[in-house]
Amino acid sequence: MPRKDKPRKGAPILVQLAIFAGILWISSIISAFFPANFVVPTPVIGLVLLYLLLTFKVIKLEWVEGMGMFLISILGFLFVPSGIQIANDLNILKDEGLQVIFVIFVTTVSLVVITTWVTRFIIAIHQKLVGGGNNDRVD
Amino acid sequence: MTALTNNLALPFTGIFMTLVVFLTGQWLFKKTNGFFLFQPLFFGMVVGIIILIIWGKVQGRPTAYIYQHFYKPGADIVFWFVNPATIAFAIPLYKRNDVLKKYWFDIILALVVSSVICLFITLGTAKLVGLSHSSAAGLLPEAATTAIAMPVAEAIGGNSAITAMACIVKAVILYVLADILIKTFRLQRSKIGLGLGLGTGGTIGSAKALEYGMLEGAMASVCVVIIGIVVDLVVIPFAHLFM
Repeated sequence: MPRKDKPRKGAPILVQLAIFAGILWISSIISAFFPANFVVPTPVIGLVLLYLLLTFKVIKLEWVEGMGMFLISILGFLFVPSGIQIANDLNILKDEGLQVIFVIFVTTVSLVVITTWVTRFIIAIHQKLVGGGNNDRVD
Repeated sequence: MTALTNNLALPFTGIFMTLVVFLTGQWLFKKTNGFFLFQPLFFGMVVGIIILIIWGKVQGRPTAYIYQHFYKPGADIVFWFVNPATIAFAIPLYKRNDVLKKYWFDIILALVVSSVICLFITLGTAKLVGLSHSSAAGLLPEAATTAIAMPVAEAIGGNSAITAMACIVKAVILYVLADILIKTFRLQRSKIGLGLGLGTGGTIGSAKALEYGMLEGAMASVCVVIIGIVVDLVVIPFAHLFM
């Protein structure tokens, strides 16, 4: 099939934007149906929705890839406002600030380390029980 | 003078300021070969806050007022793009569909087990340093993204302003310290594990994971979705049992 050899051309940028905007719009409607004590935010629904649309070949990868990878690449920039947001509430740091930061630090490090180790352990057991190739090795 | 203050309250100020502090950080980070305090997100955040504090002192207004009137209008526009950026993580996920299909059960099990362990660690540490109930409860749902964590914190009597701050600080800590943590705890021995681990840092953690590889990035986006659901389901009963 000669078509496969052609470099895939991304969809025009406005079309890609429209797909993202459309998925977000539909997700925001779906999000309203979840009860108040089980919040699922719009972008999380959108992530699942876009994944399903890609998996079931409704949307082609080249229709969203250029825009998507660009947005991910500037994510550090996009999060600067959320960091500066702390300026709105500097008072909460006055009472227990140091202790709070300390607990956040401990939680963050343990989340990463424990999640990684537990996953490694569970996958290793899975491999022992089932056998077969291991996708989880680095070397 | 009023015309000037009015125009400074337009979104231009926030957008330009965000770009300048971030790009300055990026430039310094490159110049110093990656000195960790110049990590652009961290640098931009600290310098941005300092600018707002100084601005407040000059105008004789509280920092929160300056933030809301002059920075927030532009900041909201920049921050809105986190929405499409979050759903973009479906792309690495789709590309590594094979791994998800093979290990979906292991992934869910690992995330449930480790988030419960971490809840005990958070609560234990909070008790150890003597945090008030509302601060401790505000920190429990930290593993989820802000939008999930805040209502959960409120449901268990936590201060949700602390939750919001925790989610931000968590992401910044992860983004800045990821390399050091990976070396110290030898996390790179499990690519799936590392991806899931960095995914606990939310969207920012996932972006970091993607720097290590497509598989790590894919697993991080799985983590963002599943850990949100786990926090939704687990934290409230946990708080009733142990707090």
